[in-house]
Order: sequence, then C-alpha cells, then structure tokens
Amino acid sequence: MDTLDKTEWDVVLVGTDLKQSLLALALSRSGRKILHIDENRHYGGAEAAFSLQEAEEFAKKVDEDTSAAAFTNVSISTPDTDEPTSSATLLSPSRAYTLALCPQLIYARSALLDALISSKVYRQLEFVAVGSWWVYSVGSRGAGDEETSSSIAQSGKLLKVPNGREDVFQDEDLDFKAKRALMKFLRFIGNFEEQTEQWQPYRTLPFPTFLKEQFKVPPSLHAPLLALTLSPANGAQTTTEYALPRIARYLKSIGALGAGFGSIISKWGGMSDIAQIGCRASAVGGGVYVLEKGIAGEYNAEGVEQSDAEAPSLRLRLKGGESVTTRWVIGSKPSTQTTPSSFCRSISIVASPLQPLFPPIGEEAPPPACAVIVFPSGSLLLDGEPENELELPPVNIMAHTSDTGECPRGQCILYASTSLSGQRGQELVKNAVDTLLHSIGINPIPTILWSMQYEQRADVALQPTSFYNGDRVLGFSPLNPDLAFDDSILDEVKEIWLRIMGGEGGSFLVFEDREANINDDE
Amino acid sequence: MADSAPAQPKPSSSVKLVLLGEAAVGKSSLVMRFVNNDFQENKEPTIGAAFLTQKCNLPTRTIKFEIWDTAGQERFASLAPMYYRNAQAALVVYDITKPSSLTKAQHWVAELQRQASPGIVIALVGNKSDLAAVNGGASGGDSSDDVDAAPAAEGETNEEEDGADARRVPTKTAKAYADEENLLFFETSAKTGTNVAEVFTAIANAIPETSLKGPRGVGGQTNLGRQEERVNLVGGRTEGPKEGCAC
Ligand SMILES: Nc1nc2c(ncn2[C@@H]2O[C@H](COP(=O)(O)OP(=O)(O)O)[C@@H](O)[C@H]2O)c(=O)[nH]1
Ligand SMILES: [Mg+2]
Repeated sequence: MDTLDKTEWDVVLVGTDLKQSLLALALSRSGRKILHIDENRHYGGAEAAFSLQEAEEFAKKVDEDTSAAAFTNVSISTPDTDEPTSSATLLSPSRAYTLALCPQLIYARSALLDALISSKVYRQLEFVAVGSWWVYSVGSRGAGDEETSSSIAQSGKLLKVPNGREDVFQDEDLDFKAKRALMKFLRFIGNFEEQTEQWQPYRTLPFPTFLKEQFKVPPSLHAPLLALTLSPANGAQTTTEYALPRIARYLKSIGALGAGFGSIISKWGGMSDIAQIGCRASAVGGGVYVLEKGIAGEYNAEGVEQSDAEAPSLRLRLKGGESVTTRWVIGSKPSTQTTPSSFCRSISIVASPLQPLFPPIGEEAPPPACAVIVFPSGSLLLDGEPENELELPPVNIMAHTSDTGECPRGQCILYASTSLSGQRGQELVKNAVDTLLHSIGINPIPTILWSMQYEQRADVALQPTSFYNGDRVLGFSPLNPDLAFDDSILDEVKEIWLRIMGGEGGSFLVFEDREANINDDE
Repeated sequence: MADSAPAQPKPSSSVKLVLLGEAAVGKSSLVMRFVNNDFQENKEPTIGAAFLTQKCNLPTRTIKFEIWDTAGQERFASLAPMYYRNAQAALVVYDITKPSSLTKAQHWVAELQRQASPGIVIALVGNKSDLAAVNGGASGGDSSDDVDAAPAAEGETNEEEDGADARRVPTKTAKAYADEENLLFFETSAKTGTNVAEVFTAIANAIPETSLKGPRGVGGQTNLGRQEERVNLVGGRTEGPKEGCAC
C-alpha cells in the first residue's frame, strides 16, 4: 500500500464530513475497496471539532481560500482582560478544548441512534443529556422581577420552557386559559399526522397563525413553542408544516432515554466524533485513509474521466498530480444557489460553568451537559437600527458544560447561530451572547476568554440528492446548518449506499460486533 | 439506567490505547500476544485497522483496554490522528533490529506530545528482543548495561542469522531517550511473550486515577454520589455495555 494509483478502487469518498463518514461506516463490511480522502489535515469536514490551535489554523486557511468553501469570514478574538484574575478564569492550553464547528443535538428517537446501535459503533461513543430549554423574553411575562442587570439595553429574562405536560400544569406563570389551550395543542401534536384536516389548511401559513386560530394559544406562548422547532426563521416565516413535526419530534423524544430529557449530544465535539467513528469502522474494514489529499479542481463530473466505456471505471485526478482509478466517486455537491445565504455563528469559551442554565433534570436522570437558549425574533436589537426588529431572525445558543469534554471544568462553551448573514448577523450573535451572560444572574458578569465568529454557507431547504451526469460521480447535498440532527441525512446516505451496493449489501447499517471475529480469525 | 452493579467488587474503567510505529515492527503481534497469548510467524499484515479489547486486573481496579491498531497504511500517517484523539495511552513501537524504526517512533512521540490529549501515557516499546544475543535479552525491562557495547551497525542491513545478534538499537540509547521524554520504556518480544503483559500493566498503573474518574471515566462507580453523567443508549436491553472479556 505505497501508492494510491496502483489499486482499482471501488469507491473514492471525498471529504470526511458526517455524511461521507456515515457512508464509510455503511460500506465498512461491504468488501468494497475504499479510498477515503480529505483535503484537510483533520477529520470531520464541516462537522469538525478543533483545539484552539486547530481553530487558528482553520481561520487562517479559510482566510486564504476564496473558493466556494462551506465557511467564510472567520475571526478569532481573545478579549484582553484588564487584569489577570484567578486562575479559574484563565484560558487553558489549546488541547483542553474540543470546539465543534456545527454542534447538533440528537433527539432520543432519532434514527441515527438506532443506526449507531445496530452498527455497534455506539460502544465507542459517549453521550450526555440535553437539559433545559430557555427562551429569552423581554418583560411580557413574570413582571415584577427587578434583579435584571441594568448595564445592558434590554432588560428581559430567561424563561424555562415547560418540559412536557406535568411542567405545564405546574407552571405558575400560566393562567388557566393558557394552560388549557396549551394542553389541547399538546394532545393534538401527539398524533398530528392523522389530523390533517386540522392543519392542512395552515400548511404554508405561519405557525403562530395556526396556534392562534386553531388552539387560541396566547401570543406569550408562541415564542416557547417556536423555540422547540429550532427554526432559523422568525415566526412569520416558520410554516406550520415545518413546525409541527419538529415539535412532535421534541415531545416524543422526552423520556425515551431516561426521565425528563429528550435529546442528547455526542461527547468530544458532537458530530465530529460520530464522523470519526464512521471512518474508524471503515478503516477496520480495510478502508484506506489519506488526509491532506484533495481532488484537483472543483468537485464535479469534469474532474473525472471515463477511462473505458466498457468497464465503467473512472479516473479521478488528485491534487499533486496523482490520479486514481475507481468505480464510484462520492463527495459533496458545491452549493448551487446563485445567491448563497449564510448563517452567522460563534463559539465562545466562558470563564464560568454558568450553573443556573443547568438545573438538574430529575433524580433518575443524568446531569444536563447542554442547555438550549433561544432569543426569539424581536427580543434583540441591533445598534442604531429602528425598531422594525421583528424582521430579525431568532438566535439560538447551545451551552455546553465541561461534561461534554469540550472544555475544562469551571468553564463552558456557548455555540450561537442565526440565519442572518454579514456584519449584522455577527452583531446579532454577539448581542445574544452578551445578553445571555447578563441575564443569567451571575455577578460579576462572566467573561469570555476566547471566541470565534464565522459564517457558514447554507442551503436552507435540504434538496434531494442529485447526481452528476456520469451517474457514478455522486454528491451529497450541502450541509443544512440545522441545530438538531436531521434524519433525512440517513436517507440520503442510504440512497447512495443502495446505488453502490446494488441491493447486495444486506440491511443498512446492521452489523455484528467485530470483536468476536477479530479474536477468531486474526 | 446506570450499569453500576454493586456486585462488582473493583471499579473498572475503560482506557483507550492506540498503537503507533513503522510497519512490521510487531504492533499487531504485540496485541495478539496480549489479547490472545498467541503469536504467528510471518503473518500476513492486515490492511486497515483493528479494534480489540482486553482487561487488565490491578489490585485496586480493573482496566479494560480498548486497543486500536492501525495496519498497512502507516505510510499515509492519516489514521493516527483519529486514533489518538482522546486516547489515554499510546504504545509507540520500534524494532530493535532496525534503527530507522526508532527514528520513526521518535517522530510519533513528538506528534503525540504535540497533538494528543495532554495527559496521554506514552510507552516506548522496542520489540523483537528475542533477536538480540542472549545476554542482551530484555528480561526485566532494564537490561541496559550489557548491550551498549554491541557495535551499532551503521546502515548495513545484516540478514538475521539464527544465533547471531541482530540488535541494532542499543537498549541504552532508547532508554535514555525515553527517560528524557518521560516515557515508559520496555523491550519486548511478541514472539516469546517476554515483557508484553508488563507493558500493559505498567500503562494501566500509570494512568492517573483522575483521568479515569474524569470526563472519560466510564467505570460506573458513582463518585461522591455524583450521578453517572453518561446517557446509556441501550439501557433497557439485555445486552448491556458490559461485554465480556475478550479472551
Ligand atoms: N522474531 C520476532 N518477530 C516478530 C516479533 N513481533 C513480530 N514479529 C514478526 O514481525 C513481522 C511483522 O509483525 P506485525 O505484528 O505484523 O507488525 P506490524 O506491522 O507492526 O503490525 C511478522 O512477520 C511477525 O511475525 C517478535 O517479537 N520477534
Ligand atoms: Mg499490524
């Protein structure tokens, strides 16, 4: 195994993003000769997780690369502290951090978990629980609370989203009518699929309209319900057909893996660890891995020659002059949008565990390692802009504790994102993080030790997989910067897997444990 | 549902261990010796990678090694980064009959020190000690005195003849390097089994207790009433995550 070009590969996978890596996992027992390359020095592609030093390298690389990459406008800032305080508030060494570019939570009923179990790789993964969901509210409910900080323009507070029906009953901020409306809606969502007559007319209408007209849910409860959808758009642009399955997914997952919580995150950098587990499984099955090896030119059919019309093998040119022979090439399609939209994101290392965000889930439950904080559309303002703020999209923040393995004890990570791009998006995200730190009720206000801002290109609607002419050069759709794992990703992976295997692959992602075999036949 | 069975007298923890080193130095053979107490001469190298587990019983606790072996594609050096991520231990192996393999091992040690988890325990292992002259045999891991006199052949690759001393890396050289870098050091023979178990036991002992209880601690012992922080995906099913010993 000294040169890549002497082998007739069956499949060349380009990029170690989550999708390609799940495909690698699916193909890991197929007997196919697999070459898996990535132009980066690290695994995970768009789902990578970085130490501080790797994040710096990433920022530099994005800066130099002007092509249609998934990320743009990366900047890192380490606020110079006025005076060095106690050691707990200092930044730890680079490798004490594992920062995820695209952290996602996984619902307890996600097909991904079934796949990780049936493929047996779950044994190498660790998961921690997502605890409370919070909505930032600008003083509509819970008036009379005076402890809000005055140093920030807005004076709102964080409200915990009721976690299921018992919580709704016990919520003292809700009046009887509101409770009844909410309970009625929760009952409906339990099997909304079968009650099409109730929501079909509202399919493409704003979700708040549906809530109001069909259930008389008071406006103060629209924000928490919208929060559960994790929609990147504001209420007026979040359709009923988008919102319903997402809320149902949230509610159905509660309790599936333990009392009181409905979603989990993968430790050590979220999806990055799952991607690497896929690659590892593939390597165990004989897959060959080469980092810092990209394809020459853009990822499209032109880079590939049909070397022989009879035997349909392709020649794929790699950077550095090499070229390899293969039957299939699977990569990521470049974004096809003429005016690509993008999300603004930030990662902040905070010098505080931000304890108040993580109240215990329950006696039986594991301690929460993640909290979701939603700043609804309209709750934040941009400096110097008039109050047409309802146009602004929400900002979603995921707070990760040190139990995720992503930072040292005593600190936590805030991952913020919004669907607004450019300078305004960056400002909005920054505003949300600052507001959060000011409204938790910790004094003095926790400081940010390090932060990175970046933009991620986004194709908002997940398109069905489409293929290049050659039919054997396939591309996954570009990443959808969803904050929860989207099960349709598995469908996409399966579709490509089926094409490659032509129906002889057994069941998708169902494997026996390897350990026993290895002991027998090695 | 945590799987902390009170019946288990000793706490047990998983330790992720990665094997690094040039091709053919005997990495897979070492694992095979440790896991199956077996050795196969001239075994065909595996392509890809392997994942094995083996338990190691210490007086106060049980360590379950999760061993990641890479094979056949050492040249691309691309598997390693995904293996040493979050690994608590690394076995960096060279072949005592091949000086270039020590150079390669030193390269790996440097990379681990640069890139792996800060607290990683690294053991430098000179394998194939059975090929050294008898008096140079590594019987206790500390045989440095006898062998340094052996002329370090420069570059010429002597055919290994039976009985002849094929050693080309003096114990002293490697030991000095290991001391300098703060590595555990052993000379082993996967063929005879000499020192193989000792390497793993030494690693198990060197893993700081804190890193076991810490983020990667999966032992299921509830420290100070602290709730098991992991979510158990298959809690309800009969096959728990406590799979049997590999042997
Ligand atoms: N004499 C001797 N040969 C060994 C020893 N360990 C491994 N070998 C041989 O060295 C070759 C390479 O071993 P292998 O375990 O495949 O090396 P790897 O490529 O590092 O995994 C095989 O032919 C083994 O039989 C040893 O301790 N002594
Ligand atoms: Mg090997």
